[in-house]
Amino acid sequence: MTVAPPERLAVFRILLGSFVTAYLVIRLPVFIELTSRETNRFDPAGLFRLGDAPLGAGLYLALIGLTIPAGIAFTVGWRFRFTGPTFAVLLLVVTSYRSSWGQLLHFENLMVLHVMVLAPFRAADAWSLDALRGEDRVAGGASPHVRYHFPLQLASVIVVVTYVLAGIAKLRYGGLDWVRGDSLRNHIAYAAARVELLGGNSSPFAAFAVRNAWILPPAAVASIVIELGAPLALISKRTRNAWVALAWLMHAGILALMLIVFPSPLLLIAFAPMFELERLAECLGRARPRLSSQRNSTQQRLRRRRTRSST
Amino acid sequence: MSPSVGGVIDDDRLLASATIVTMGWSRAQLQLERRWFRATILAVVVLLLSLPVVRDEDDFPLSTYPMYATARGDEVSLVTAWGRDSNGQRGELGLGIIGSSDDPLIVAGELRSSIRAGEVADRCREIADRASVDSSIVSIEIATERHDVVAHTLSRPSLITRTVHAECPVPENDR
Repeated sequence: MTVAPPERLAVFRILLGSFVTAYLVIRLPVFIELTSRETNRFDPAGLFRLGDAPLGAGLYLALIGLTIPAGIAFTVGWRFRFTGPTFAVLLLVVTSYRSSWGQLLHFENLMVLHVMVLAPFRAADAWSLDALRGEDRVAGGASPHVRYHFPLQLASVIVVVTYVLAGIAKLRYGGLDWVRGDSLRNHIAYAAARVELLGGNSSPFAAFAVRNAWILPPAAVASIVIELGAPLALISKRTRNAWVALAWLMHAGILALMLIVFPSPLLLIAFAPMFELERLAECLGRARPRLSSQRNSTQQRLRRRRTRSST
Repeated sequence: MSPSVGGVIDDDRLLASATIVTMGWSRAQLQLERRWFRATILAVVVLLLSLPVVRDEDDFPLSTYPMYATARGDEVSLVTAWGRDSNGQRGELGLGIIGSSDDPLIVAGELRSSIRAGEVADRCREIADRASVDSSIVSIEIATERHDVVAHTLSRPSLITRTVHAECPVPENDR
């Protein structure tokens, strides 16, 4: 049975919670602007397919107002048994609602699914306010256990399936033309033209890529291989590292050529559950005494210099 | 049992439900140690994620991930909005004025859905209101333009056809 220390799950909770909460704060104007839209533009997605009318502005603003503090509570692990699932539900509601106005932003899917995966598990048994207060601690809770490994395994499988589905979509909707023909060049040109026709700035590299289109069919093959090859990330540490590096490069390439940002993979949050995250915290822990000793020696040096100059 | 009045759930039933949920959840957490239980959860999650692909229906948060997946030609129709000055010259408006968002995906999506819903005239007036801060713009037009996007990216002439959906004046009170 594979086990993980509680710190590994805790670091993922902190990284994911910080990222999603920051995302909500940064995008707050977009979420708030939805309240001023005419109701006939409402095109229900996700949960909202159950009904066909938008929420009242007051209720929706209240939900957003609750989601951000719930995200903070999720991140710091405060009463996680309650705030974890609450944040997951609120996040699903507000992002589904945003998606219900004619534009699905696919990069939101993975972060919402990850929060939903983490929320019902014991992700706050370490490095949390709950752990500080000694609440929710089970017998042997601080030792490695399958309950800390499984949510991360589940989150990793979701990442892998997501990429495989994206690869399947290209073969299904685009077929071999997507790989062989000029599709990728035309997508890059389309992304640039769309932004420019709306008065924005396109990628400075788009024209270069379009002019040197011979590089794009191999790039198209590579992107499909990376997406369909996502299960390699679950085989060994070496294949995981190689796949994550390639997937990150793919997103960096998309950003450079099309100015399309997939924030969670680019910041490595999406790939975080595949790694031994407690080592990250150990590195920070080791760096702290080193930093403080450096600070102390600098202060001592300054003090000595001051004493010398005064004498 | 405490009394239940006018649709208020009585305390005993609420307590019983909470106990059942808590016990069920604690039991499920214990079951995590069993391999078959974990395998079942993983299988269910994979099935759920694959469901939109089977149904060929994009949704949120479960998706077919169709973005940029289609084979695209070099001629594309794009919806956009322009401002015109008093000499009839067209000028760019910018994302913030066309859609009050900095995201081109959202702005383009809003324009498309307003045309689909037959509300393009309303959308034109909204843009005109936002554009009234610029005194040089006298009117707004929303159009679908067909471009050779490769030529456009290489700064060559690219416009193939142009269909104007709505034209409206910019209010003068702010100018």
